[in-house]
Amino acid sequence: MSYLSRFERMNGIVNAEWIRTLRAPVGIVLVALLTRPVLGNEFVLGSPHIATTILIWMLFAASFNLLFGYVGLLSFGHAMFLGTGVYVTAIGLSEFGLPFSLMTLLAVVVSSALAYVIGRIIVRYGEIYFAMLTLAFAMGVHFVVNANPYDLTGGSDGIRSGTTPEWISSFRGRRLIDVGWVDGLFASVGLEPSYYWFVALVFAATMLLLWQIVRSPFGRTLVAIRDNEELARAMGISVDRYKVWTLTMSAGFSAVAGALLMINNYGASLRNFGPQTSAEVLLMTIFGGVHFFFGPVVGAFSWFGIREYLQTFEVLSLPLVGAFEAGTVLSYWRFFFGFAFVLVIVLAPSRGLWGLVRGYAADAIAAVRRRFADE
Amino acid sequence: MRAITEAPMAVIRELNLGSWSMPAKALAVIVVVLLSATLAVSPDLFIQNLIGGVAYGMVLAIIALGLALILGLLGVVNFAHGGLFMLGAYGAYEVVALQGFSFWMALLVVPVAVGALGVTMEVTILRRLYGGTPIIGLLATFGVFVMIEEATRAKWGGTPLTFEIPASLQGSVPIGVGQIATIRLATVFVATLVIVGTYLLMYRTDFGLTIRAGLQDREMAEFIGIDIPTRFTVVFFLGSAIAGLAGVLRGAETGMDLSMGFEFVLLAFVIVIVGGVGSIFGSVVSGLLIGISVFVAPVAVRSLATVTGVDALDVAGIGGVVPYIVMLVVLLIRPRGLFGEEGLLE
Repeated sequence: MSYLSRFERMNGIVNAEWIRTLRAPVGIVLVALLTRPVLGNEFVLGSPHIATTILIWMLFAASFNLLFGYVGLLSFGHAMFLGTGVYVTAIGLSEFGLPFSLMTLLAVVVSSALAYVIGRIIVRYGEIYFAMLTLAFAMGVHFVVNANPYDLTGGSDGIRSGTTPEWISSFRGRRLIDVGWVDGLFASVGLEPSYYWFVALVFAATMLLLWQIVRSPFGRTLVAIRDNEELARAMGISVDRYKVWTLTMSAGFSAVAGALLMINNYGASLRNFGPQTSAEVLLMTIFGGVHFFFGPVVGAFSWFGIREYLQTFEVLSLPLVGAFEAGTVLSYWRFFFGFAFVLVIVLAPSRGLWGLVRGYAADAIAAVRRRFADE
Repeated sequence: MRAITEAPMAVIRELNLGSWSMPAKALAVIVVVLLSATLAVSPDLFIQNLIGGVAYGMVLAIIALGLALILGLLGVVNFAHGGLFMLGAYGAYEVVALQGFSFWMALLVVPVAVGALGVTMEVTILRRLYGGTPIIGLLATFGVFVMIEEATRAKWGGTPLTFEIPASLQGSVPIGVGQIATIRLATVFVATLVIVGTYLLMYRTDFGLTIRAGLQDREMAEFIGIDIPTRFTVVFFLGSAIAGLAGVLRGAETGMDLSMGFEFVLLAFVIVIVGGVGSIFGSVVSGLLIGISVFVAPVAVRSLATVTGVDALDVAGIGGVVPYIVMLVVLLIRPRGLFGEEGLLE
């Protein structure tokens, strides 16, 4: 017992079951807790204001990835589900003065119902057709919202007034949670009751739910369908039903992200429904890595991180080359992101950035183990 | 002459109306009734929009033709096609407005340059992806599209631009019920040339024969000594150059802005899918169909509102969403598209 080699002891800790089970939940909580402080750090970005947006997009990208990464259906119109979340909450708050929580629930229901109907119609066609048909539906919804039926959606102006719930107050551009006992709670641990922490809470809760879904038998079945659809069908899995329900769930989670985004953006804009939004979530998810739960999280972080980071540069000084005016070049950061994206697709299409990082980490751990084994 | 009478017959034969389901037949009847009503209520407007739709449809058709060539022959869903189209328009701006050459020069030079860029993309990126799932090709070219769009923004700025077209194309030609701009006529003319040329190349030359052979059975084609990679590169050049040409024509007619690439690549996909993947003829027909329906639909709903007296039927801006409605309806009735081969991309 006490004669275990250092290698075996090390191995025992690394392979312990509790680490496997808790890795993702701990990761989710850490992301929720650390995004803002890390981005606020002077050595990283020096500005915490983008952190809320990043968390919301992480949630949106993760729910997109439930569909693309786990069952292999590429949706080109996922913005319609995010937009539904944004618009339903905005309409409920501004037109009818209903509470935010109720509207979020309603948004999830509406978005899921929309996805269910669309899924039932289109899920049996091939993958490229699925992409084009989701796009068609998204364009249709975009058109309806733009046409401003019954003066509800505000057309191309969106919804701007009356969209902040009464428990949110704005102070010098920051949004604070304005509920008595929450203030006291936050004050006792030395934090300001920022809207970020509300988003972090919702983010952690929904991501834990998502994690629970993908590691359930349901989620494992999705992976089976993704990897070999014919085999899954032959095994008696009703593939189309799984696909429809995944689309439905993905839409529901996207609607939660949309509800959060509505408060974050002070209302709803038509852009939330636009094809550009669908394209962005696609880019960041795949860049991060679709076959991993944390892939979209990494993707969303790098998308906004790269954007904010590159835009802060005015002069870039490189060794040997010298300093040059980089502000104009780096404002076209999407070009560099596109380049990195193509590289990721060509080198490791299903692994993405997170897959590459994990690969290197696994190599490093294996190297360390070999060192211990040699002794 | 025989070809002219044969083409409509071929369309009818290919569509195989007898096999349509009841809802599809009902829908077809509704569309025919709606169009007849429109023609009765406002004949001038209807015919003018019909002609405008044909001109627009021809541009759509050649964009989709380039895309269909690459998709049907190489199996790559080339999202960068929209970027190449946009580069065609901006390239024409560069040549005509900034460098001061003539428009005819742009019409020759720009497609070649865009084609060369397409070949660069094919050789450096897409060759690695042949034989993989179509999704990977779509995503890689989507990344290229983002790069092209951003590079265009860097080079020419984000504001919409136009350039001067030659005086001989500026006027308009009277046709029975109204006028049609000369540039539109020229567009239709050039597009027709491109379509006929592509058809002849693919179906009446040895080159086209070898390409189609390589598609049927690549290994066997290589065994009998056909250099397939080079030929595929040539097809990619053609597809990209056609996109560039379409860009020049569109830029000359309406000017250029950064959203045109995304907008038109989506439309081109819709057209290819409506026409049926793998069918050059299908993409031309559905390009015309969608071009016409984009122009005619607003007139139709307005006439419908007039006839029935229900103002709510006159939906503003319906033109933008019509292509997607057409795609939805066609795919629900006929999943492989109007003239597509069964089994491709499914």
